[in-house]
Amino acid sequence: MTKNETLKDWIEEYSEPLLRRAVYLLSDKTEAEDVVQEVFISAFSSYDSFEGKSKPLTWLMTILNRKVADFYRKKYKSEPQIKLDHFFDETGSWKNDDVLNDWDFSNKETELLDDQDFNKTLEDCIEDLPSRWKITMKMYYLEEKKAAEVSQELSISTTNLWKILQRSRMQLRECLEFNWFAKS
Amino acid sequence: MLKKLIHMIFLPCSEVTLLMEKRNAENISSTENWKLSLHLKICKWCRAYKQKLEILDDILKRKLSQEEKVEIDNSEIQEFKEKVFKKIDIQ
Repeated sequence: MTKNETLKDWIEEYSEPLLRRAVYLLSDKTEAEDVVQEVFISAFSSYDSFEGKSKPLTWLMTILNRKVADFYRKKYKSEPQIKLDHFFDETGSWKNDDVLNDWDFSNKETELLDDQDFNKTLEDCIEDLPSRWKITMKMYYLEEKKAAEVSQELSISTTNLWKILQRSRMQLRECLEFNWFAKS
Repeated sequence: MLKKLIHMIFLPCSEVTLLMEKRNAENISSTENWKLSLHLKICKWCRAYKQKLEILDDILKRKLSQEEKVEIDNSEIQEFKEKVFKKIDIQ
């Protein structure tokens, strides 16, 4: 098969999984399409370096991750400024006591994700995070929490990676507190 | 009042919750770990938060390590493919 034919096959076969991953990471279809298009262009020009050691999709996914990181760096040029004043007062103490509320598990936590309503609530809470934090969290979990790699790819300090995770989880905790646990 | 005393002697809660992230990622120094444990012994707010954080991390691990069922229709994918074919010019 010629290079052109192979590429054509790949576009036919792998556009869908690549788009899925990209939409998932970027939460935006237009941005996702741009990034996946770049993946194919990049695959086309560096085709000779694909040695067939991995599956084509694995190779394309690696390119995709790199492209998403490029996109992130272009969009967010500076280190993030993370403020915690929503949760803590000027002395660094908790502003209110809702963190003390009991999370009542009438069903086990392992079953929570099987609950459609809970999933919906969780997804909405994640969706409400600023997009920068969201991409960072998703990359962090997709890459199985390799902090050094993620912070390098995204060009942020590891301290700022912790801060983004801290701030995001604070918000998710509060969001679930009010929208799920307080209601159930 | 109690909150204020706690943070004067020990770390403030805002810093302790950051250390929880570092510990969670197994990226914490032994001094930091010691300070974190000490703080947790006396601060019920951070203790409660830590418990919830563990649950949240467990949930997020399962939720975020896989792509969600992102909805893209076939026609969109078809349109996209055609765009890429044109762009790379391998029709």
